[in-house]
Amino acid sequence: MALLELDDVTVRYGGLTAVAGVSLSLDPGEVRAIIGPNGAGKTTLFNAITGHAMLAAGSIRFRAERIDGLAPYLVSAKGVRRTFQNGGLFGELTALENVLAGLHTQVPTGFFGVLFGMPAARATERAATSRARGLLELMGIGHLADKPARELSGGQQRMVEIVRALATRPPLLLLDEPAVGLAPAVREQLLGVIRRLVREEGIAVVLIEHAIEFVMTVSDRIVVLNDGKVIADGTPAEVPRNREVLEAYLGH
Amino acid sequence: MPGAAPVSVVRVPTLGRWVFLLVPLLVLPVPFLVNRYIQYVLNLILVYVLVGVGFNIVIGNLGQLAFANVALFGLGAYASGILVVHAGWPWWTTIVPAGLIGALAGILASLPALRRIRLFYLAIMTMAFGELLRWIYIRAEPLTNGSMGLAVPPPVLLGLRLSSDRSKFYVFLVLVVVVVLLTSSLLRSRFGRAFMAIRDNELAAAAMGIPTDRYFVLAFAWSGFVVGVAGAMYTALVGHVTPEAFNLLELILHFAVVMVGGLASLAGSVIGAIVLTTTPELFRSFPGVQELVLSFVIIGVLLFLPRGLVSLLARRWSVFHERYYRE
Amino acid sequence: MLAQLVVSGIAQGVLYALVALSMTMLYRATTVVNFGHGDLVMGGAFAVYVFVVYLRLPYLAGALIALAVLFGVGVAIHQGLMRRIMTGPHLAIAMMALAVGYALRGGARMLWGREVLPFPRIFPDRAWAIGDVVVTSDNVIVSGTVLGLMVVLLVLFNVTRIGRLLQAVFQSQRGAALIGLNVDGVHRLVWGAAAALAALGGVLLAPITLLYPDMGVWVLVRGFAAMTLGGFGSLPGAVLGGLILGVMELVLGAYLSTAFIDISAYVIVIAVLLLRPDGLFGRQVVVRV
Repeated sequence: MALLELDDVTVRYGGLTAVAGVSLSLDPGEVRAIIGPNGAGKTTLFNAITGHAMLAAGSIRFRAERIDGLAPYLVSAKGVRRTFQNGGLFGELTALENVLAGLHTQVPTGFFGVLFGMPAARATERAATSRARGLLELMGIGHLADKPARELSGGQQRMVEIVRALATRPPLLLLDEPAVGLAPAVREQLLGVIRRLVREEGIAVVLIEHAIEFVMTVSDRIVVLNDGKVIADGTPAEVPRNREVLEAYLGH
Repeated sequence: MPGAAPVSVVRVPTLGRWVFLLVPLLVLPVPFLVNRYIQYVLNLILVYVLVGVGFNIVIGNLGQLAFANVALFGLGAYASGILVVHAGWPWWTTIVPAGLIGALAGILASLPALRRIRLFYLAIMTMAFGELLRWIYIRAEPLTNGSMGLAVPPPVLLGLRLSSDRSKFYVFLVLVVVVVLLTSSLLRSRFGRAFMAIRDNELAAAAMGIPTDRYFVLAFAWSGFVVGVAGAMYTALVGHVTPEAFNLLELILHFAVVMVGGLASLAGSVIGAIVLTTTPELFRSFPGVQELVLSFVIIGVLLFLPRGLVSLLARRWSVFHERYYRE
Repeated sequence: MLAQLVVSGIAQGVLYALVALSMTMLYRATTVVNFGHGDLVMGGAFAVYVFVVYLRLPYLAGALIALAVLFGVGVAIHQGLMRRIMTGPHLAIAMMALAVGYALRGGARMLWGREVLPFPRIFPDRAWAIGDVVVTSDNVIVSGTVLGLMVVLLVLFNVTRIGRLLQAVFQSQRGAALIGLNVDGVHRLVWGAAAALAALGGVLLAPITLLYPDMGVWVLVRGFAAMTLGGFGSLPGAVLGGLILGVMELVLGAYLSTAFIDISAYVIVIAVLLLRPDGLFGRQVVVRV
């Protein structure tokens, strides 16, 4: 059974068609890259999947269940998590608190339990905190836990955002340009993280990227978008030979 | 692009919430050392601590431009006064009802935000809401005694008449400590973090599974409760509730409390309450000077110390920082 | 009866339109919503009061000086204060505007305390009857001035170089800056002009009403109501909204209850934002989360 199925997805903004009839299918544990020139509709596609953008036509299924039209928080609760292209972190919260926010749906405290400081609620909170700290440690950024997110460097922020996104072990992770502006060493680190996620946790990853080498190394399949349409969908070996792809890139 | 940066608040690891119990203990003997006037001011400070704490939840933690605070404050004050005067309830039994009415009104004030109305539109709307309420206070003569104001007899606690400001002080102190502790518990949980997530990046918050609508309403509800309780305290302190006390000038005072003290900071609300209650009292006898000083203070803070006085203190003593988790 | 209400309503509404127009102009150029705008109107009213009553200047001269003074105040507010915080949080901007208005109010209160001041009779005491409708010279002078001014502004906006500059900045500040336009200069000009227009509102209000330091609040809420009704950010909307508000207050006040004279503005703000946030001509108000 496919984990994620997009069927003829179309998104319009006013008179502009940002995404036009995109169809694709993703299996669990697969790494798919979406590439294409600027304005090709890649982030809009992500927004459509996560519920931040409404579909004009088509459908999106996650684990055979339709999720298009659902509010973003519901889509997220079903197991779809993402990072954002620009500053998706909660700037005034620390790295630790950001990850804790990512864990929100798995910290089952009730309002009155929390308000009156009931022992059960306190224990749950404490457990969540140590889990969040553990996650940061695992990714090698435990030392950043108590720093406000806005004080972190670009690369560090990117890493925290990824930790936050996978804190709940979501079956589907959408990464929007995770490698942009990162130093080569950090990119290597990121690569390792993604590989580990897929291998050990069985998480499916869809990533939008411009760094072609990065994409080639990590993806199982690559989808190329241009003007909102899919112009190629194949393995890292096939795609660069596709004439339409070359034209799309050279034309820009 | 103007107005694009998020609200800035103060941060860092903290010493412990024992401060919330320690400071009140230290303050216990004070009523025996001061005269009646200063005692009154101290009581007023306690009222405004809760005003600040309540308001801070909505504009500091949740980060919304909701200007309904004065409306909620007034509702709590009138609710308490009306229950005492017209229904004969002893004052102490009106505290929770006043809070609940404030909470209800807070929920009402949050409804436009659920229709995705944000920023200046929300500000204008909540302002209009407040002015409308004030008009209602003036018109609802049978209940509120209109512009003359409602005269409320001295508050009663469990049969005891609290006629002296000193006795009121201890009752107020207990109320403040309890409410602040409850608020602190709320903020150091997934609820508090959700509020701030919504403030810092609403889209990302939704992407983390946070049902933003629900938490919006929750933040406004709790804020309304706290400010409603402050209203009941105000009625007990002043003994006379008038519509004029809850106009836009009062709103600016509330703003000043949280901005001078520090947004999204409990300690900041205390500091702000102290500064903004004592300063106007110094200029009470000179009409207009009060407002000028207040506005200069606000302008000064906005220009030079946007994170509030608590940020200055936080540089020296880490106890002034807040953390939003339990360990 | 209805016709009279409409005519009187328009005569009142032009002032709301003027206030709303100046606030909208400021908002479009700087994205600042001036919560202290009502107090600028109050400033204009009190300024002309000082010139006419204390300095015994003729009304016209006093009015022009008041406009000039408030123009300067507007420029000062931008230069000294707004400029420094405009890139920061919206809350700070709203608070700054509120605080400045508050300072103006404090100044007025220092000088006049709790007094309510009547203005000497300036406009001639004449009235004309057109059918069932009575039109006073107050109505004519105020409406004539405001409507005439708006025609002038419209022409300036569309024909002159400065008007085109404004149009560019209204469209996109960043875009205007990118093509080398002096956006800061435009901001300064617009702050001055908006303050002067607000002052004009005050100058025209002064002879027909009683002055008191808190009158700005009354003006502010009506300005907001007009802007909301017409669609926040729309210039023609602001004018139309003001006129409609003026008429609504009197019509609802006569047919439903006199209460509506006071609360129409509040009810309109709340109802319009809840039911049709875009108002009549407005731009997108809501955000999808």
